[in-house]
Amino acid sequence: MREVVCHKEDIHPGKMRSATLGKIPVVVCRTKDGEFYAFANRCLHQGAPLSEGVLCGDTKRTDIHGNYEYIKDGEILRCPWHALEYDIKNDGAMLAEPDKKLRSFQVTIEDDQVVVYK
Amino acid sequence: MPKRQKQRRIIDTDIHERVTYSDLLPYLDNPWRRYIEDNHWVQEKHMPYTQPTVAGVDRADAVTPDGGAAGTDLRFMQEQLLDAEGHEYGILSGALDPSPSSMHGWYEMGAALASAYNDWQIENWLEKDSRLYGSVHIAAQDPQQAVREIERVGPHPKMVQILLPIDTRSWGDPYYHPIYEAAERHNLSIGMHHNEPPTHFGGWPRYFIEWHTMLPTAHMIEVSNMVFNGVFDKFPGLHLIMIEGGFTHVPHLMKKMDQQYKELRHEIPWVKRMPSRIIQDHVRFTTQPVEELSQREFMQFVDQMGSEDMICFATDYPHWDYDSPLQALPKLDAALEEKIYSENARAAYPKLPRPTGGAK
Ligand code: FES
Repeated sequence: MREVVCHKEDIHPGKMRSATLGKIPVVVCRTKDGEFYAFANRCLHQGAPLSEGVLCGDTKRTDIHGNYEYIKDGEILRCPWHALEYDIKNDGAMLAEPDKKLRSFQVTIEDDQVVVYK
Repeated sequence: MPKRQKQRRIIDTDIHERVTYSDLLPYLDNPWRRYIEDNHWVQEKHMPYTQPTVAGVDRADAVTPDGGAAGTDLRFMQEQLLDAEGHEYGILSGALDPSPSSMHGWYEMGAALASAYNDWQIENWLEKDSRLYGSVHIAAQDPQQAVREIERVGPHPKMVQILLPIDTRSWGDPYYHPIYEAAERHNLSIGMHHNEPPTHFGGWPRYFIEWHTMLPTAHMIEVSNMVFNGVFDKFPGLHLIMIEGGFTHVPHLMKKMDQQYKELRHEIPWVKRMPSRIIQDHVRFTTQPVEELSQREFMQFVDQMGSEDMICFATDYPHWDYDSPLQALPKLDAALEEKIYSENARAAYPKLPRPTGGAK
């Protein structure tokens, strides 16, 4: 299955938008380096629409109490409800439990259009 | 369109409508109104952190269509919650933020705000949607004044409870008993919901994650305080609903209180039954924010509580830790589901209408 989502400039780096692939709601994310990723638009926890959340960063794991280092800006998809986070460059793995992953879909750019495949 | 996969009655025991000061001004007399307009008075806030989520305290998708704060628009609440989930009833527990009863001074202002809030709630919510039932707001620091407000709005057919904040005061003290006497007189339950309690003994924890994890300790303090101060011995018809503390702490609390009662009951001779029995008879706990539990784990907690009647479903809409009626709890047997999603709440709120006919 194939779905043309939008023109590639319609999603700015660091933003996302919802779409459908057949009957499947998907969220297409664009990281700050301009790459596109697509996932099922449904949180693994209680099913919230992820596209209503935010693309943000993470705080780097550290051994030093009180040390904050903001990393992966624009690569973490945070759910609009209970704020569970998914690493979009790491196959949609949940940060807290990386063995749980969002279903991901292939994205290509064809004639400047964002196309999602199943 | 209701998305009912299951024909289930839902009585949602925690829905937050939200007011802004400008909404409230028309309901305030002077000088109170002028203290806000001229002197820019705002309620005191204490919490040193924010909720590190997408939209602070709110579900990010609950911002109203015109960009207003979540919970300010009845139409949108109907669409996103009441119609979408197929609610039978919902109990509004909005409160000002913090509650007038949380104020550390100027209780007269607290009382004026509580009255204005009650009038605003009745006119804009309770009388506009038949599914919504409300909470009487009071400034409980002055119980006599609070009783006058309960007498004024408590008889409204859609007011089902008196809301008290879980904060730095413990409400079991006999000083506050006139409030419970008035509650019983008007068939109102007592709902307790945390505002901004520092978790006791450690004061404010350093991080929000600690504060939010330990909220049930603040709820436990209130339940212990109400029971051991004899509130339920004195007011045998009183129902207490502990809102937004979950229920998994309850088996521990019941067991601990019983053991202490066996050893120390002579200190509180006005308490005449085992604490666990009093809790089973009088206190209800709302589910949200529920931990992810398997059916087996869920049933272990129910077994340890010794009752299927104590847990009531709540969404906490529109807050970030909202629990979905179809996703939050594990599958349970049909009779228990009916109790948790509706009938336990119906029993805890005597003013809610009894069920009509079969399932909707
Ligand atoms: S539904 Fe996404 S974090 Fe709970």
